[in-house]
Amino acid sequence: MTLLATEQTMSQTGRSVKLQRSIVIGFGLLAALLVLGTILVPGFISPRNARSILLLAAFLGLASLGQTLCAMVGALDLSIPYVIGGANILFPSLLVTGMPAWLAAIVVVILGAAIGVANGFLSFRLQGQALIMSLGVGFAFVGAVQLYTSIGSDYGGTVFAPVPNWLRNFAAFNGKTFGLSLPPVVLVWLLITLATIWALYNTWFGRSIYAVGGSRTAAARLGISETKVWTSIHGISGAMSALTGVLLLGFSGGGFVGVGDPYLFTTVAAVVIGGTSLLGGAGGYGATVLGVLVLTVMTSLLVGLGLSFAAQQAIVGLLIVPMVAVYARTPHIRNQI
Amino acid sequence: MSQRFGFPALDRSLTVPFVLFGVLLVAAALLSPRLFTATGIGGAIIVAAPLILTTLALTPIVMAGRGSVDLSVGPLMGFVNVTLIGWLSASGYTSPLAVVCWVVAVGALYQLLQALIIIYVRVAPIIVTLSSFLVLSGVNLMVMSRPGGVAPDWMMTWGAGTTILSPVLIIVLAAFALWAVMRRTTFYSHLRMTGADERMAYTSGVKVDTVRICAHLLGGVFVGLAALSYTALISSGDPTQGSSYTLQAVTALVLGGANLAGGRGGALGSTLGALNMFLISYLLSAFSFGSVTGFVTQMAFGLILVASLLVNVFMTARRPAF
Repeated sequence: MTLLATEQTMSQTGRSVKLQRSIVIGFGLLAALLVLGTILVPGFISPRNARSILLLAAFLGLASLGQTLCAMVGALDLSIPYVIGGANILFPSLLVTGMPAWLAAIVVVILGAAIGVANGFLSFRLQGQALIMSLGVGFAFVGAVQLYTSIGSDYGGTVFAPVPNWLRNFAAFNGKTFGLSLPPVVLVWLLITLATIWALYNTWFGRSIYAVGGSRTAAARLGISETKVWTSIHGISGAMSALTGVLLLGFSGGGFVGVGDPYLFTTVAAVVIGGTSLLGGAGGYGATVLGVLVLTVMTSLLVGLGLSFAAQQAIVGLLIVPMVAVYARTPHIRNQI
Repeated sequence: MSQRFGFPALDRSLTVPFVLFGVLLVAAALLSPRLFTATGIGGAIIVAAPLILTTLALTPIVMAGRGSVDLSVGPLMGFVNVTLIGWLSASGYTSPLAVVCWVVAVGALYQLLQALIIIYVRVAPIIVTLSSFLVLSGVNLMVMSRPGGVAPDWMMTWGAGTTILSPVLIIVLAAFALWAVMRRTTFYSHLRMTGADERMAYTSGVKVDTVRICAHLLGGVFVGLAALSYTALISSGDPTQGSSYTLQAVTALVLGGANLAGGRGGALGSTLGALNMFLISYLLSAFSFGSVTGFVTQMAFGLILVASLLVNVFMTARRPAF
């Protein structure tokens, strides 16, 4: 694709300056939103609101991890919402069969990873159409799960099962971590964030992702297997989506296949707002965390102002282009030759 | 390369959609011959028209390259639909001329705006259309909070679909005619060049920006026609169906053999892709899976999409570079 080539013509230094600029802008935006919220919405800076922002950010953050890694090599994983929705109904239906919850969670996450690996392998063979391949895999997966869960049941798409108490405490709004009134899922997100950022900069695997995204020829010369990188990051994406689906069950209390739908575009938006290029080679999970926080705080502010979901969606959409225009403009065609 | 024998673009990428179409037609003939009666075909045209036209709308935009698959095409169709019902009809402008002008103008102007942002703000098309998707999905719900309203009186009988020669068929044929005229212009060859290699096209004097704007305008006109046939199908306004049309249209486009990287695609392939999508869901509903039909359909769409992508890759991999 011409896009990839465009990105490759940019110098390495130009990229890191751009990324730093996007991070400065992200922090500025976050601060501005917090100030606006404090002025406009009573009770915006309260432990209660902070808790709800962090909780919602944790779900979005976990779902966006795989999307970030995929974007770093120039792919997009559109199967995320379907894997989330599938996991969200598969998990309770496994509980109904009498499987212990911990085992069911592990089974679902491993299945998610397997779907992701398949997705990554197929997508790699079809570089130009990776977007659609992941969509097809997602459709097939969620259809299969819905079929499985609705056999012998009158309800399609919704599954009823008692959610184990520990899971409820883990991800619900009033969950407690060691007596502290913060749901443990936030802590888990923090740990996963730190581990991911560390791994991206300090492990062979992490550097390989940057290498493949930056220059495929150079990566191949270094002996990095592109197929392996693609397959494993999609595998991680599938596993994280399945985990998000399981955790969302603790949050909502009932399995619903549509629970993943909003994550199709919000994960991409979080990656983009963070400043990770969708064309590969630049960015990182730290940037996405910033994007997730900006997006969640903005949503909370808009909710606080009394805007409907439709209006929130429209405003977030309106803001994406100007935000990206600040730091991710492609050079004019005459400068690309 | 494809015009050697005067056939419209019968290149290898059309083999898969043609074969699939044949198989599906035979299966339909065996399982549910009702489709081949006048009523059956009339109904099929009404149901398939919005998808055929949205897929057709994506075609020139995708052909222009830069990986610019327009994710907002479904919500844009929804926007034209809800404004037609909620604003135009509600204010009493119900003459056929006003309605047709409105749908085409709104579709084309919105696509013009998107093209200008892509060209002059220079943000990647996928991001522009992604934000468009969010904006329009939100705005549609603000224009009309739930499905409702009624289509103009003269349109009410369109959705019955009892005859083959319905006005919806005329809309589809008009779209094909527009495409056929467009194929004869220099714009078409410039479009293919731009999509295949934008830099090469630019250096050989093609005005790539103008080409991109025209591709979006053409897509916008098709979106307008899609909205018109969609309004006829449901005889009212619906703010929520747009997003599913985006996914279906992109699937149909790929099923029809277009390359999302640009340069390759056409009306014939896109129409075949959309018809295949229609036939798959028609066949699955004929099987009567009861309450799980929707899930089977979704799974089948997914599996067929994956399979046809893989087959397309192996078909085109052996093709020499052109």
